[in-house]
Amino acid sequence: MGLIDFTNTSVTYPGGLTALRDVTLSIGEGEFVVIVGLSGAGKSTMLRAINGLVPVSGSVLVDGREVVGASSSEIRAIRSDVGMIFQTFNLVNRSRVINNALMGRLSRISRWRSFFALWPSEDKEIALESLERVDIVEKAYVRASDLSGGQQQRVGIARALAQEPKIILADEPVASLDPVTSHMVMRDLQRINRELGITTLINLHFLDLARQYGKRLIGLNDGKVVFDGDISEVDDDVFRGIYGRAITPDDLLDES
Amino acid sequence: MTLDAPEIQVRPVEPPRPVKYLGPLVVGVVATGVLGWAGPVGPLWGALVGLVTFGVFVWIDLTRHWLDAVMLVAGGIVGLSFFDWVLAGRSGPVDFKLSLLAAVGWLVYGAATGVVVYRNRPGFKPTVILFQALAWAGGATLALFTATTMGVLAPLNARQISAGEIQSLTIGLFVFTGMAACAVGLGANISFATGLVSIFAVGFVVVLTVLAYNEIDFSTSAIATQLTRIGEIADDFWPPVWKWPRSLGQPETFNIVEPFIETLQIAIIGATIGNLLAVPLAFWASRMTAPSETAYRFAKAFLNVVRTIPDLVWGVLFATAVGFGNPFAGALAMIMFSLAIQAKLLSETVDAIDIGPLEAARAAGARHTQVIEYAAFPQVRPNYVAYALYIFELNIRASVVIGFVGAGGIGRLLNERRNFFQWDQVMAIVLVIFVAVLLIEWLSIWARRKLV
Amino acid sequence: MTVPDLTPDEQMEQLRPKEPVGPRVVRWVVTIAIIVPLIWAVIGLEISPARIWRAPSEVWALLSGMFPPDFSDSGRIVAKLLESIYIAWIGTMIGAVFSFPLSFMAATNVAPRWLAIPIRGLLSAIRAFPELILAVILIVPFGLGPFTGALAIGIHSIGTLGKLSSEVIEGVDEGPIEAIGASGGTLALQMRYGIVPQAMPTIVAYWLYRFEINIRASAVLGLVGAGGIGAEIVARLSFRAEWPKAGAALIATIVVVLLVDAASSSIRRRIITGQPSTSLVSKGMIALTGAGRAPSTELES
Repeated sequence: MGLIDFTNTSVTYPGGLTALRDVTLSIGEGEFVVIVGLSGAGKSTMLRAINGLVPVSGSVLVDGREVVGASSSEIRAIRSDVGMIFQTFNLVNRSRVINNALMGRLSRISRWRSFFALWPSEDKEIALESLERVDIVEKAYVRASDLSGGQQQRVGIARALAQEPKIILADEPVASLDPVTSHMVMRDLQRINRELGITTLINLHFLDLARQYGKRLIGLNDGKVVFDGDISEVDDDVFRGIYGRAITPDDLLDES
Repeated sequence: MTLDAPEIQVRPVEPPRPVKYLGPLVVGVVATGVLGWAGPVGPLWGALVGLVTFGVFVWIDLTRHWLDAVMLVAGGIVGLSFFDWVLAGRSGPVDFKLSLLAAVGWLVYGAATGVVVYRNRPGFKPTVILFQALAWAGGATLALFTATTMGVLAPLNARQISAGEIQSLTIGLFVFTGMAACAVGLGANISFATGLVSIFAVGFVVVLTVLAYNEIDFSTSAIATQLTRIGEIADDFWPPVWKWPRSLGQPETFNIVEPFIETLQIAIIGATIGNLLAVPLAFWASRMTAPSETAYRFAKAFLNVVRTIPDLVWGVLFATAVGFGNPFAGALAMIMFSLAIQAKLLSETVDAIDIGPLEAARAAGARHTQVIEYAAFPQVRPNYVAYALYIFELNIRASVVIGFVGAGGIGRLLNERRNFFQWDQVMAIVLVIFVAVLLIEWLSIWARRKLV
Repeated sequence: MTVPDLTPDEQMEQLRPKEPVGPRVVRWVVTIAIIVPLIWAVIGLEISPARIWRAPSEVWALLSGMFPPDFSDSGRIVAKLLESIYIAWIGTMIGAVFSFPLSFMAATNVAPRWLAIPIRGLLSAIRAFPELILAVILIVPFGLGPFTGALAIGIHSIGTLGKLSSEVIEGVDEGPIEAIGASGGTLALQMRYGIVPQAMPTIVAYWLYRFEINIRASAVLGLVGAGGIGAEIVARLSFRAEWPKAGAALIATIVVVLLVDAASSSIRRRIITGQPSTSLVSKGMIALTGAGRAPSTELES
């Protein structure tokens, strides 16, 4: 049993759309996994099945705890160990960077302390350390909206790190960034996985990035897993098989 | 190289202009009125009204079919005979329940007209018939009920009574009701037939204005007369008297500042606590941040009801509950007043926030209240502050008058002086209020400019 | 630039910025600015904890006395509600008709400054009188009754609508106006074809919004004898035995105001979004269910 276990997992949205079909796989501790697939193939859904942000059926075990059918407090406990990074950063623009990072600690402090914003010094320390780890601490008291895209995503990563998570889920973290910044962010995620041993799952739609940074590749097509293997086995034919069509320059970040 | 012949261009059909259809509307209404005045009542009138309607429908190119004419005439006979039967021989005022009953006849007739429109304009659902029937009946009920409570029919009645022809109000009611029902109903018919809502709007506006004008005895001549008397009137109010004895025989003179302070205090409590309590309510009332569907529905319903109650009515309610002449009642009333406005404005702002940060907070394992406090509220904070200042201004204005219902403050003083007919003292108070309101307004404009 | 006796951790800490003190101060100032006047007000009005404690049960006593409501006198309620509607209608009409020319005169992009400034002042002055006060004054020459109420509401509406409409006119795009002027159009033509088409939808929306507010205002004018359902509610509340009837009047008022609000906001939404008039059925449906309200403009005074 790995850290994340999918067993016959399916996700069907209330409108009737089935985004994930009968997925069974296992992800071990410390792994660095990239997930690829066309838009609508189920990449985002698969990530969100892990922290219960979408309606899941079947079984999803996260560190031995079951997501399917979990109560709201059980789900919150699971989520506090799972950090998430978003394509659109999802920072609170009007708030300062430090407050955004502190949001990662919300699950660990009591209601009343969080209501009056009386953060214990350990939590503030953890938040500042997370910001240091992504090299953005000097902007701690700056408004989030005053930062560039790459800087904002680093704050997003810091927020996830502040949770002291076992797992990090990154949903297209570089899709809104320029190539240079994208490489920086991918390297940061690699480094975090290596130094802190956090299991990392990353959705990508740039195939060259997937090949460059990934260790294990999972390919989704129409909600089903069509490839699951080591990155060394991956070549253009594999990608063509996953996508169901030929690769175009749009699928690559560095177009040269 | 040959030049191709230019493509035949098809000119689009010119959309109908509303003015073109006002003519048929006016003619239909006038004809119905004339028929009611000059002609018979009951079934025959119904048949004639049906024919008039058919004529209008032909005019607007809706139909020429004999079946439609038959339906209209039949509907008229049935519907308006019923109407006649309900009102026959009445000599007294017609109360609300009776007007509703009588209007059922117009409902039948309206349904007939609706069926004709429905038949000739494909694409409508059958509910269209119901709306047209309601339009005819609605105009009739309104007119009927209004006519019986006002004096506009009196001249008619007097003339005919003096001519010894008729003892009851029936003719006048027929004419008046018929014309109003026709204006609204025919307006609805033409609007459905042509797709021009403005026709219905015109009919409705005209009827409502005529009814309103008469019901409230609006009198431009009275205005004119009073304007000429303005010198006399001003004498009553001027010069304003600033000090007067607290009570008869007492040498102490009166201080106008005290009640004003009271007003200010009421406003402060109302605005502060109302704005505070509005926050959770506002988040409940927004789909984005409501903890559950039931909470959302409850909050929205509560807000809608609370928003309809005017500030002074709150004043009366609380004054009755906790005691008259008591500024506490005023404060409570202002809390409800502020709560309603802030919650409504804030919830609408919350509806437009970015859901991303909320998702991030949830993904990090935050509780619902934490999600709202850290991800949702920061997004609307500047708006909240702007609304809060605005509501404070409204509170001052409202607190000024709330004393009228015995809830303390300067309004109470005004009411008291008014009841003693001391107009010059009233003027003094009014001037103070006037200046205060102006000051508050300038202050809040300045404050808002500074903060934006 | 490393200082030899600092550990790497301590070196890192040196890079951390200091927390700025400004926002903290602001937070404290604002908190005090809110709490102190509140305490002053509560003490000034002599609101004791006992009073606050008693309040909920007193309110409950009132509510349970008003419900279940007694609708036996429904004819009178309907008559008075209609009267309130009529008062609001005529008042809004007066306001709309007279504010329209005044708003042009008060708009700085249409009227010369020597005209606009005084007119704006006049409108401000009118607006400063709450409707109730106006009604009280007007009762002296015109007596009690709904006519006075309509006048009071009408005059006050001239003030508010005048200000709002003039702001709309000032916010109009100058382009079309210039074009008309450049091709030789007079000021009147510029107004008719340049300003009016742009400003009308918003202005009419304001008229409708004003109607919504005026319904509430007319409901309370009854308190000074200026007609409407307010007087009914107050009269019935004066006697405990009549409280159920008061409840009936209150509920009826709430229902009517809700209906008017729903109809008005759906019409306003249609006007603002400029949708061509589609079926009246859907409009009626929207009005009845109150779905999809137009956002309330922030001016409720």
